[in-house]
Amino acid sequence: MTSDVHTLTIDGTGVVGTADQTVLEVAAEHGIDIPTLCHLDGLSEVGACRLCLVEVDGGHRPALACMTRVEEGMTVTTHNDRLAGYRRNLVQMLFLERNHVCAVCVANRHCELQDLAAELGVTHFDLPAIYPNVGVDASHRLFAIDHNRCIMCTRCVRVCDEIEGAHTWDVMGRGLAARLVTDLGTPWGESDTCTSCGKCVQVCPTGALFEKGRSVAEGAKERRPFLPYLKVRRS
Amino acid sequence: MLLTAITEGRATLGDLRQLEELSAMVAATSLCGLGQTAPNPVFSTLRYFRAEYLSHIEDGTCPAGVCPMVGAETAGVTTTQVNP
Repeated sequence: MTSDVHTLTIDGTGVVGTADQTVLEVAAEHGIDIPTLCHLDGLSEVGACRLCLVEVDGGHRPALACMTRVEEGMTVTTHNDRLAGYRRNLVQMLFLERNHVCAVCVANRHCELQDLAAELGVTHFDLPAIYPNVGVDASHRLFAIDHNRCIMCTRCVRVCDEIEGAHTWDVMGRGLAARLVTDLGTPWGESDTCTSCGKCVQVCPTGALFEKGRSVAEGAKERRPFLPYLKVRRS
Repeated sequence: MLLTAITEGRATLGDLRQLEELSAMVAATSLCGLGQTAPNPVFSTLRYFRAEYLSHIEDGTCPAGVCPMVGAETAGVTTTQVNP
Protein backbone atom coordinates (compact mmCIF):
# COMPACT_ATOMS: atom_id res chain seq x y z
CA MET A 1 0.00 0.00 0.00
CA THR A 2 2.91 2.34 0.59
CA SER A 3 3.47 2.61 -3.15
CA ASP A 4 -0.01 4.16 -3.42
CA VAL A 5 1.08 7.16 -1.37
CA HIS A 6 2.33 10.07 -3.41
CA THR A 7 4.09 13.23 -2.35
CA LEU A 8 3.47 16.33 -4.40
CA THR A 9 3.73 20.09 -4.14
CA ILE A 10 0.67 22.34 -4.11
CA ASP A 11 1.37 26.09 -4.08
CA GLY A 12 4.87 25.46 -2.76
CA THR A 13 3.71 23.28 0.12
CA GLY A 14 4.72 19.62 0.24
CA VAL A 15 1.59 17.45 0.65
CA VAL A 16 0.76 13.76 0.69
CA GLY A 17 -2.11 11.97 -1.02
CA THR A 18 -3.09 8.49 -2.10
CA ALA A 19 -3.32 7.42 -5.73
CA ASP A 20 -7.13 7.34 -5.73
CA GLN A 21 -7.42 10.94 -4.57
CA THR A 22 -7.88 13.97 -6.78
CA VAL A 23 -5.82 17.14 -6.54
CA LEU A 24 -8.94 18.90 -5.25
CA GLU A 25 -9.38 16.42 -2.37
CA VAL A 26 -5.75 16.56 -1.33
CA ALA A 27 -5.74 20.36 -1.50
CA ALA A 28 -8.88 20.52 0.66
CA GLU A 29 -7.32 18.16 3.23
CA HIS A 30 -4.38 20.52 3.51
CA GLY A 31 -6.47 23.66 3.80
CA ILE A 32 -5.85 24.93 0.29
CA ASP A 33 -9.05 26.42 -1.12
CA ILE A 34 -9.76 25.84 -4.82
CA PRO A 35 -12.96 27.49 -6.08
CA THR A 36 -15.60 25.14 -7.47
CA LEU A 37 -19.34 25.06 -8.08
CA CYS A 38 -20.14 21.61 -9.48
CA HIS A 39 -18.08 19.59 -6.97
CA LEU A 40 -19.87 18.28 -3.89
CA ASP A 41 -18.35 15.86 -1.37
CA GLY A 42 -20.09 12.50 -1.70
CA LEU A 43 -21.11 12.90 -5.34
CA SER A 44 -19.27 11.85 -8.49
CA GLU A 45 -17.22 14.46 -10.35
CA VAL A 46 -18.31 15.86 -13.72
CA GLY A 47 -15.94 18.77 -14.30
CA ALA A 48 -18.83 20.96 -15.46
CA CYS A 49 -18.02 24.33 -13.93
CA ARG A 50 -14.32 24.42 -14.96
CA LEU A 51 -13.54 26.70 -12.01
CA CYS A 52 -11.14 24.35 -10.20
CA LEU A 53 -8.62 24.58 -13.04
CA VAL A 54 -5.01 24.48 -11.83
CA GLU A 55 -1.61 24.46 -13.48
CA VAL A 56 0.19 21.14 -13.23
CA ASP A 57 3.99 21.23 -13.65
CA GLY A 58 3.61 24.67 -15.22
CA GLY A 59 1.66 23.06 -18.06
CA HIS A 60 0.40 25.23 -20.88
CA ARG A 61 -3.16 23.91 -20.62
CA PRO A 62 -4.68 24.01 -17.13
CA ALA A 63 -6.04 20.75 -15.70
CA LEU A 64 -9.18 20.36 -13.60
CA ALA A 65 -8.29 19.71 -9.95
CA CYS A 66 -11.47 17.66 -9.48
CA MET A 67 -10.65 15.31 -12.38
CA THR A 68 -6.87 14.99 -11.93
CA ARG A 69 -5.51 12.15 -9.78
CA VAL A 70 -2.43 12.93 -7.74
CA GLU A 71 0.88 11.67 -9.07
CA GLU A 72 4.30 11.34 -7.51
CA GLY A 73 6.29 14.54 -7.66
CA MET A 74 3.70 16.70 -9.46
CA THR A 75 3.83 20.44 -8.91
CA VAL A 76 0.45 22.15 -8.74
CA THR A 77 -0.28 25.87 -8.83
CA THR A 78 -3.82 26.69 -7.72
CA HIS A 79 -3.72 30.47 -7.77
CA ASN A 80 -1.99 32.91 -10.10
CA ASP A 81 -3.00 35.84 -12.28
CA ARG A 82 -3.73 33.71 -15.34
CA LEU A 83 -6.00 31.28 -13.47
CA ALA A 84 -7.71 34.15 -11.65
CA GLY A 85 -8.47 35.77 -15.01
CA TYR A 86 -9.95 32.55 -16.40
CA ARG A 87 -12.04 32.06 -13.25
CA ARG A 88 -13.37 35.63 -13.35
CA ASN A 89 -14.34 35.20 -16.99
CA LEU A 90 -16.00 31.83 -16.30
CA VAL A 91 -18.04 33.22 -13.40
CA GLN A 92 -18.97 36.23 -15.51
CA MET A 93 -20.21 33.94 -18.28
CA LEU A 94 -22.26 31.92 -15.79
CA PHE A 95 -23.95 35.13 -14.69
CA LEU A 96 -24.64 36.36 -18.22
CA GLU A 97 -25.83 33.07 -19.70
CA ARG A 98 -29.08 33.16 -17.71
CA ASN A 99 -30.82 35.74 -15.55
CA HIS A 100 -28.95 36.02 -12.24
CA VAL A 101 -30.31 39.10 -10.51
CA CYS A 102 -29.36 38.70 -6.86
CA ALA A 103 -31.74 41.34 -5.52
CA VAL A 104 -34.82 39.35 -6.53
CA CYS A 105 -33.46 35.84 -5.81
CA VAL A 106 -34.44 33.59 -2.89
CA ALA A 107 -30.80 32.55 -2.50
CA ASN A 108 -29.51 36.10 -2.09
CA ARG A 109 -26.64 35.98 0.44
CA HIS A 110 -26.92 32.17 0.54
CA CYS A 111 -25.64 31.60 -2.96
CA GLU A 112 -22.38 29.94 -3.90
CA LEU A 113 -22.28 31.72 -7.26
CA GLN A 114 -22.73 35.09 -5.60
CA ASP A 115 -20.09 34.32 -2.96
CA LEU A 116 -17.66 33.14 -5.59
CA ALA A 117 -18.16 36.30 -7.65
CA ALA A 118 -17.42 38.37 -4.55
CA GLU A 119 -14.38 36.27 -3.69
CA LEU A 120 -12.95 36.49 -7.21
CA GLY A 121 -13.62 40.21 -7.47
CA VAL A 122 -16.12 40.09 -10.33
CA THR A 123 -17.19 43.71 -9.99
CA HIS A 124 -18.67 44.27 -13.43
CA PHE A 125 -19.52 42.43 -16.64
CA ASP A 126 -17.85 43.38 -19.91
CA LEU A 127 -19.52 40.77 -22.08
CA PRO A 128 -23.05 41.01 -23.49
CA ALA A 129 -25.83 39.27 -21.56
CA ILE A 130 -27.94 36.56 -23.17
CA TYR A 131 -30.86 36.53 -20.71
CA PRO A 132 -33.01 33.89 -22.44
CA ASN A 133 -36.53 33.35 -21.18
CA VAL A 134 -36.23 29.75 -20.00
CA GLY A 135 -39.22 29.57 -17.71
CA VAL A 136 -40.14 28.28 -14.27
CA ASP A 137 -41.64 24.92 -13.31
CA ALA A 138 -43.69 25.35 -10.13
CA SER A 139 -45.91 22.32 -10.67
CA HIS A 140 -44.43 20.40 -7.73
CA ARG A 141 -46.34 20.59 -4.44
CA LEU A 142 -43.32 21.58 -2.30
CA PHE A 143 -40.57 22.79 -4.58
CA ALA A 144 -40.03 24.84 -7.72
CA ILE A 145 -37.28 25.27 -10.27
CA ASP A 146 -36.42 28.60 -11.86
CA HIS A 147 -34.35 27.64 -14.90
CA ASN A 148 -33.22 31.27 -15.21
CA ARG A 149 -30.98 30.81 -12.15
CA CYS A 150 -29.62 27.39 -13.13
CA ILE A 151 -25.90 27.14 -13.91
CA MET A 152 -26.04 23.51 -15.14
CA CYS A 153 -23.72 22.21 -12.41
CA THR A 154 -25.81 18.99 -12.37
CA ARG A 155 -25.46 18.54 -8.61
CA CYS A 156 -29.23 17.87 -8.44
CA VAL A 157 -28.98 15.28 -11.21
CA ARG A 158 -26.20 13.43 -9.38
CA VAL A 159 -27.67 13.61 -5.88
CA CYS A 160 -31.03 12.36 -7.21
CA ASP A 161 -29.40 9.46 -9.01
CA GLU A 162 -26.53 8.52 -6.70
CA ILE A 163 -27.91 9.25 -3.23
CA GLU A 164 -31.70 9.15 -3.50
CA GLY A 165 -31.64 6.57 -6.30
CA ALA A 166 -34.63 8.10 -8.06
CA HIS A 167 -32.94 9.68 -11.11
CA THR A 168 -35.79 12.09 -11.61
CA TRP A 169 -33.50 14.85 -12.87
CA ASP A 170 -31.57 14.77 -16.10
CA VAL A 171 -30.16 17.14 -18.70
CA MET A 172 -31.79 17.78 -22.08
CA GLY A 173 -30.13 19.53 -25.02
CA ARG A 174 -26.61 20.86 -25.46
CA GLY A 175 -24.72 24.10 -25.04
CA LEU A 176 -26.95 27.14 -24.62
CA ALA A 177 -30.02 24.96 -25.23
CA ALA A 178 -29.24 22.63 -22.32
CA ARG A 179 -32.00 22.40 -19.70
CA LEU A 180 -32.71 20.35 -16.62
CA VAL A 181 -35.70 18.08 -17.05
CA THR A 182 -37.69 15.83 -14.73
CA ASP A 183 -38.78 12.46 -16.07
CA LEU A 184 -37.99 13.02 -19.76
CA GLY A 185 -39.58 16.44 -19.81
CA THR A 186 -42.87 16.00 -17.98
CA PRO A 187 -43.68 18.70 -15.41
CA TRP A 188 -42.05 18.12 -12.01
CA GLY A 189 -45.44 17.89 -10.28
CA GLU A 190 -46.48 15.00 -12.53
CA SER A 191 -43.24 13.07 -12.04
CA ASP A 192 -43.73 9.42 -11.09
CA THR A 193 -40.16 8.94 -9.89
CA CYS A 194 -39.75 12.02 -7.67
CA THR A 195 -39.88 11.11 -3.99
CA SER A 196 -40.14 14.75 -2.88
CA CYS A 197 -37.06 14.22 -0.71
CA GLY A 198 -35.74 17.72 -1.37
CA LYS A 199 -32.09 16.71 -1.77
CA CYS A 200 -31.85 18.55 -5.09
CA VAL A 201 -33.00 21.75 -3.39
CA GLN A 202 -30.40 21.32 -0.64
CA VAL A 203 -27.47 20.82 -3.00
CA CYS A 204 -28.36 23.54 -5.53
CA PRO A 205 -25.59 26.17 -5.32
CA THR A 206 -27.88 28.96 -6.53
CA GLY A 207 -31.56 29.83 -6.16
CA ALA A 208 -32.62 27.69 -9.14
CA LEU A 209 -34.17 25.01 -6.92
CA PHE A 210 -36.06 26.30 -3.92
CA GLU A 211 -38.76 25.40 -1.46
CA LYS A 212 -42.13 26.99 -2.10
CA GLY A 213 -43.20 29.63 0.36
CA ARG A 214 -39.73 31.14 0.73
CA SER A 215 -39.71 34.85 0.11
CA VAL A 216 -36.83 36.90 -1.17
CA ALA A 217 -36.74 38.95 2.03
CA GLU A 218 -36.07 35.87 4.14
CA GLY A 219 -32.86 35.20 2.25
CA ALA A 220 -33.14 31.45 2.79
CA LYS A 221 -34.40 29.11 0.13
CA GLU A 222 -35.15 26.19 2.42
CA ARG A 223 -36.57 25.71 5.89
CA ARG A 224 -34.15 23.22 7.42
CA PRO A 225 -30.73 23.38 5.83
CA PHE A 226 -28.64 20.28 6.41
CA LEU A 227 -25.42 19.05 4.73
CA PRO A 228 -23.11 20.94 7.11
CA TYR A 229 -20.19 20.42 4.74
CA LEU A 230 -21.89 22.63 2.18
CA LYS A 231 -19.50 25.50 2.28
CA VAL A 232 -21.17 28.86 1.92
CA ARG A 233 -18.51 31.41 1.14
CA ARG A 234 -19.85 34.28 3.10
CA SER A 235 -17.29 36.87 4.13
CA MET B 1 -20.15 39.67 -32.14
CA LEU B 2 -16.68 41.12 -31.55
CA LEU B 3 -15.62 40.08 -35.04
CA THR B 4 -18.76 41.64 -36.54
CA ALA B 5 -17.92 44.89 -34.78
CA ILE B 6 -14.42 44.78 -36.28
CA THR B 7 -15.69 44.11 -39.83
CA GLU B 8 -18.11 47.02 -39.53
CA GLY B 9 -15.46 49.39 -38.22
CA ARG B 10 -17.11 49.95 -34.84
CA ALA B 11 -14.51 48.10 -32.74
CA THR B 12 -11.97 49.50 -30.31
CA LEU B 13 -8.57 48.23 -29.28
CA GLY B 14 -10.28 47.05 -26.09
CA ASP B 15 -12.50 44.79 -28.19
CA LEU B 16 -9.42 43.29 -29.81
CA ARG B 17 -7.85 42.66 -26.39
CA GLN B 18 -11.09 41.05 -25.20
CA LEU B 19 -11.21 38.87 -28.30
CA GLU B 20 -7.69 37.61 -27.60
CA GLU B 21 -8.43 37.06 -23.91
CA LEU B 22 -11.65 35.16 -24.58
CA SER B 23 -10.05 33.01 -27.26
CA ALA B 24 -7.21 32.05 -24.92
CA MET B 25 -9.68 31.26 -22.16
CA VAL B 26 -11.91 29.10 -24.35
CA ALA B 27 -8.90 27.18 -25.66
CA ALA B 28 -7.52 26.62 -22.17
CA THR B 29 -10.69 25.72 -20.27
CA SER B 30 -12.71 23.66 -22.75
CA LEU B 31 -13.36 19.99 -22.05
CA CYS B 32 -13.30 18.60 -25.58
CA GLY B 33 -11.30 19.16 -28.74
CA LEU B 34 -14.05 21.23 -30.37
CA GLY B 35 -13.71 23.97 -27.77
CA GLN B 36 -9.95 23.68 -27.57
CA THR B 37 -9.55 24.29 -31.31
CA ALA B 38 -12.52 26.61 -31.92
CA PRO B 39 -10.45 29.80 -31.38
CA ASN B 40 -7.70 28.64 -33.76
CA PRO B 41 -8.94 30.74 -36.73
CA VAL B 42 -8.77 33.81 -34.51
CA PHE B 43 -5.29 32.90 -33.28
CA SER B 44 -3.88 32.28 -36.75
CA THR B 45 -5.42 35.35 -38.39
CA LEU B 46 -4.17 37.46 -35.50
CA ARG B 47 -0.69 36.00 -35.91
CA TYR B 48 -0.45 36.55 -39.66
CA PHE B 49 -2.86 39.45 -40.30
CA ARG B 50 -2.71 41.54 -37.15
CA ALA B 51 -2.00 44.64 -39.26
CA GLU B 52 -5.34 44.15 -41.04
CA TYR B 53 -7.18 43.92 -37.72
CA LEU B 54 -5.50 47.16 -36.65
CA SER B 55 -6.37 49.06 -39.83
CA HIS B 56 -10.02 48.01 -39.37
CA ILE B 57 -9.99 49.36 -35.84
CA GLU B 58 -7.68 52.38 -35.98
CA ASP B 59 -8.18 53.65 -39.56
CA GLY B 60 -11.68 52.31 -40.25
CA THR B 61 -10.51 50.76 -43.50
CA CYS B 62 -10.52 47.22 -44.84
CA PRO B 63 -7.26 46.71 -46.81
CA ALA B 64 -8.74 43.73 -48.67
CA GLY B 65 -11.90 45.63 -49.58
CA VAL B 66 -14.10 42.84 -48.27
CA CYS B 67 -15.66 44.19 -45.09
CA PRO B 68 -18.74 46.45 -45.25
CA MET B 69 -17.29 48.94 -42.69
CA VAL B 70 -20.77 50.46 -42.36
CA GLY B 71 -20.18 51.52 -38.77
CA ALA B 72 -16.96 53.45 -39.41
CA GLU B 73 -18.64 56.72 -40.42
CA THR B 74 -21.15 56.53 -37.60
CA ALA B 75 -18.34 55.93 -35.14
CA GLY B 76 -16.54 58.99 -36.52
CA VAL B 77 -19.65 61.18 -36.13
CA THR B 78 -20.11 60.01 -32.55
CA THR B 79 -16.52 60.89 -31.72
CA THR B 80 -16.84 64.43 -33.03
CA GLN B 81 -20.06 64.92 -31.12
CA VAL B 82 -18.53 63.73 -27.88
CA ASN B 83 -15.40 65.85 -28.32
CA PRO B 84 -16.52 69.14 -29.93
